[in-house]
Amino acid sequence: MNPAEVAQSALPLTSSDLSIFGLFWSAHIIVKAVMLGLLIASIWVWAIAIDKTVLYARTRHAMDRFEKTFWSGQSLEELYRTLSARPSHSMAALFVAAMREWKRSFETQARSFAGLQMRIEKVMEVTIAREVERLERRLLVLATVGSAGPFIGLFGTVWGIMTSFQSIAASKNTSLAVVAPGIAEALFATAIGLVAAIPATIFYNKFASEVNKQAQRLEGFADEFSAILSRQIDERA
Amino acid sequence: MKTGLTISASAHAAVLLWALVSFAPKALNAPPTESMPVDLISSTEFSQLRAGARNAPKAETPKPLVEKIAEKKTPADPAAKVVDKPELVTASAQTPPPPEKVPERKPAENKEPKAEPKVEQKPDAIADVLKKEPKPEPKKEAKPQPKKPDPKPQPKFDANRIAALLDKRDPQRVAAAGDTLNHTLAFGTATGDSPKLAQSELDALRARLRECWNPPAGATNAEKLKVPILIRFKQDGTLASPPQPESAAADSFMQAMIDSAVRATIRCQPYTMLSPAKYDLWKEIVVDFSLEGMFGG
Repeated sequence: MNPAEVAQSALPLTSSDLSIFGLFWSAHIIVKAVMLGLLIASIWVWAIAIDKTVLYARTRHAMDRFEKTFWSGQSLEELYRTLSARPSHSMAALFVAAMREWKRSFETQARSFAGLQMRIEKVMEVTIAREVERLERRLLVLATVGSAGPFIGLFGTVWGIMTSFQSIAASKNTSLAVVAPGIAEALFATAIGLVAAIPATIFYNKFASEVNKQAQRLEGFADEFSAILSRQIDERA
Repeated sequence: MKTGLTISASAHAAVLLWALVSFAPKALNAPPTESMPVDLISSTEFSQLRAGARNAPKAETPKPLVEKIAEKKTPADPAAKVVDKPELVTASAQTPPPPEKVPERKPAENKEPKAEPKVEQKPDAIADVLKKEPKPEPKKEAKPQPKKPDPKPQPKFDANRIAALLDKRDPQRVAAAGDTLNHTLAFGTATGDSPKLAQSELDALRARLRECWNPPAGATNAEKLKVPILIRFKQDGTLASPPQPESAAADSFMQAMIDSAVRATIRCQPYTMLSPAKYDLWKEIVVDFSLEGMFGG
């Protein structure tokens, strides 16, 4: 790129408006890509956040409801029959998995009590793992955007500042009118990066603690339920 | 997931729209800043700047001192000889009137009242003693007497020269004329430079001192020895105080050198090569007396 071309390209830069779209259109193609990517990341982060918030609220609600019915003295057989009809999540899934294993062991002719306790615990472990995996799916996206967003924005900033220096060199002038558009464009990239990263980090921390809490609750229920089943096994054996 | 994505995308679109509305329309126009001229001057130039007092009222532009706005005159006769001052005809500067027209009242005015006071002298014993001395009393009495009227000739009344008669100014006074009226003196000097002691003046002073100086002979490194002497002058070029050696004598030879330098300084006065206009600059001078500087160099 010879200086004359740079000067030509820098000329509209000096007279451009500093609106959001003006900044975007006057930016270099790489900076444009950075801005677009960060915008998409921001949209994705908020989508995940909304989705997870709804999911966790629903899961918590379902757990509360299930624990209420579980400890209400209702027969486990009956509960199993109502729950196994429809696909269920979290605590109900845990209960259904354990009950299915229990029933299978009793309904077969050869009553295999040996190792039943271990099998039930294994099944519940696997179910807990699956449930937790479902709860924390896409949380890594939040973590990634939260940590990498500022760097991506910074990359756009560096590029924009390089552009503004090029326009300084082309116009041989360091007045504010020459420097300002490049700097504004550059800072715009950083701003978008921060806009994407800050909610991502906040949501990631909040959701990680939420997942942790729910996983612990599941494990507590699994321990309690396995204790009940163990008592039943010992009584029947 | 789909609902979350939709909500998020629409929320972002809304925020972008709001940003467009709130940030966009005002174009931030940065007017080019005015450049400020900067002069680079050396520290000597700065110290010799003749800036006026900080709190002096600011004069718009320096103007020549003028009391009267000059009229633009077109010379009547361009070929005529240029005369510096216009002839100012006033009452007190008139040609003596012809003797035959002397008014009659003039002698009356010129008549002197008798200024001779009568001195009463009492026949006294003390008076006889005092007679030898001139008595102050008669003089005192004579003073309140009306003085002699001015010897100036009274203006003669002439109906054709009333304007000249009314003009009471001194005939020599000619107002300075210029473009604009300006009664304040300008700051600074005509050239804007401080007076400096020319190198030739310093050299002349040094040459004079060299003539008078008899340096002591016979030391090992006498050439290197330097004796600074502080000399204070009066305005007429003579010494205001005995010259003072600026450095203490390290040995007997140096003491001899100091003494000889002081003697030379005293012997050479007055120093007429220093111009009195720059007296402030040579009021106090330290002259280095050294064989190398004064004779070798």
